[in-house]
Amino acid sequence: MLFNSYEFVFFFLPITAIAFYMLGSRSKSLAIGWLILASLAFYAWWRPLNVALIAPSILINYALARLLLRLGAGQKPAAARAVLVVGIAFNVMFLGYFKYANFLVRAVNDVAGTGYVLDHIILPLGISFITFQKIAFLVDVAAGRVKEFTLRDYCLFVLFFPQLIAGPIVHYREVMPQFQAAPCRFDGSAVAVGLTLFFAGLFKKVVLADGISPMVSSIYADAAGGHPITMLYAWMAAIGFTLQIYFDFSGYSDMAIGIARLFGVTLPANFNSPLRANSIIDFWLRWHLTLTRFLTAYIYNPLSLWLTRRRMAKGLKGVSGRNTPPGAFVTVLMLPTLFTMGISGLWHGAGYTFIFWGFLHGIFLSINHLWILLTRRYWPNHQRYDFLINSASFMLTFVAVVSAMVFFKSDTMTSAWNVLAGMIGRHGIAMPEATMVHLGHFAGLAKALVVQIAPPDVHFGALARWIAGLLAVAWFCPNTLQILSAATPATGVDLQQPYKHGPALHLRWSMSFVWLLAVTVTTVVAVLHLGGVSEFLYWQF
Amino acid sequence: MTTDSEILSTMSRTLGDLLDNDSIVLTAATRRSDVEGWDSFTYISFIASIEMEFRVKFGVADVESFEDVGAIVRRLKALRGK
Repeated sequence: MLFNSYEFVFFFLPITAIAFYMLGSRSKSLAIGWLILASLAFYAWWRPLNVALIAPSILINYALARLLLRLGAGQKPAAARAVLVVGIAFNVMFLGYFKYANFLVRAVNDVAGTGYVLDHIILPLGISFITFQKIAFLVDVAAGRVKEFTLRDYCLFVLFFPQLIAGPIVHYREVMPQFQAAPCRFDGSAVAVGLTLFFAGLFKKVVLADGISPMVSSIYADAAGGHPITMLYAWMAAIGFTLQIYFDFSGYSDMAIGIARLFGVTLPANFNSPLRANSIIDFWLRWHLTLTRFLTAYIYNPLSLWLTRRRMAKGLKGVSGRNTPPGAFVTVLMLPTLFTMGISGLWHGAGYTFIFWGFLHGIFLSINHLWILLTRRYWPNHQRYDFLINSASFMLTFVAVVSAMVFFKSDTMTSAWNVLAGMIGRHGIAMPEATMVHLGHFAGLAKALVVQIAPPDVHFGALARWIAGLLAVAWFCPNTLQILSAATPATGVDLQQPYKHGPALHLRWSMSFVWLLAVTVTTVVAVLHLGGVSEFLYWQF
Repeated sequence: MTTDSEILSTMSRTLGDLLDNDSIVLTAATRRSDVEGWDSFTYISFIASIEMEFRVKFGVADVESFEDVGAIVRRLKALRGK
């Protein structure tokens, strides 16, 4: 069931929440049981088969976790380690079969020139997110961070519907203590915060992301059709899609965090104004935070630590600030970064374009780190140029992010190269005459700058205005979590910190009539946009 | 048995060597964000150096969960106590 559908907004969510409060006033246990049932119904809504596919995996994971718990209590670390490895392998293979079998066959066919065909495999909804969460749980149990749990607890943790399909990816220790402490009763302030976030997220999705989406998609459709994409269109495609996915996924995350709040749970933040990042490292500390956290903890850190131990055992230095030797940079920083980001790309989708997107970010991150190491060593007093460096770094980060997004959006590498070639001017510059007329005195200058007349296109000017508007919001407005910072809407980010200066200071949500009015207007506009039901981009992962 | 202050002073020296900064003084409450340049990459080197120094080996979950220096000290002592 989509968060942005009538049946969810007017039927499923209110009924689930009201019944939860009513049952909670009689027995907490009943309320939790109801929440699990509702989550199952939510998951089964589109395709009941989803539940049949995921249920055995939940039971196997539960059994493995119980075994780990027993082995841990019995002080049998070697056996516990073996069970953990089996558990992780099982989950990775489960994900691998459903998500990557077809891609693997295609890759083999591409390389070996064979023609193997696999039957169509049904991809259980949200499997990528659910799998990561289950792996994190097994690691937590093996590390002794989860000491006790029941099947009911585990089902609630895995199936909790607000974050079931597209995150935020959470740890057991983050949410379960909250459920244990939650009164499971109606709480006016939690409902106010939750609904504000939910409808703000809905607005971001159905008004902003869905508003720009058709114009952006039409350029990518042209690119896929083999039409050379000229420069202005190419940049609008790259920036437009970046804005679309940002408002889509951060909108979804706001909704997920808002719904969880209705049930007394505060989830971790997933976005913190990523397009304001002034480096690629900074970008990944603001974009899809819970994924970054997972990949760092469970892929990058173990790999880098293993490689560092090997280096140090040979008497070689690891990464050590400005004294980092080139060998250490390559082996314990760059290689694990490329590998981790490659996995991140593959996790997003079974296709060459996603893997390439991941590797590109791996390269960007490595260059960013190299820059930090080199400036520390060779340019220690660069602080006096900080303003210039930060401005250049901000622009470079933005260009890097939007260029990489072209691969994320394109269906094929050929189509992505078409847009990229357009961005660097290989296909010339063109704009519709109707738009050029608006340039007034600058029209002559534009023509002199080899701007050609593009075929009439009603979307050109509209898309340019959408991009300008959405960029202004992404760059200059506080994000939804910052606006709600007084109510601690999410964990994991310092929402106060960037909020000390500027006019945005006045945009702070409170329980007041003005804000009630603002939220009501947002809600009405969002609800009026419902119906042109579109999927969230991240639900396909 | 090494005391907390001895462990902290060894840790401060190790991190100081890594970041080329003699003035670093770690306390139990120090977090990574408190020390300039102590990013997630130097953190991994720091952990590996501490492992060598004290002849222990941290688990994957340990490395992820240390919220402050005090948590590293506590885990280190637990591992050495075994």
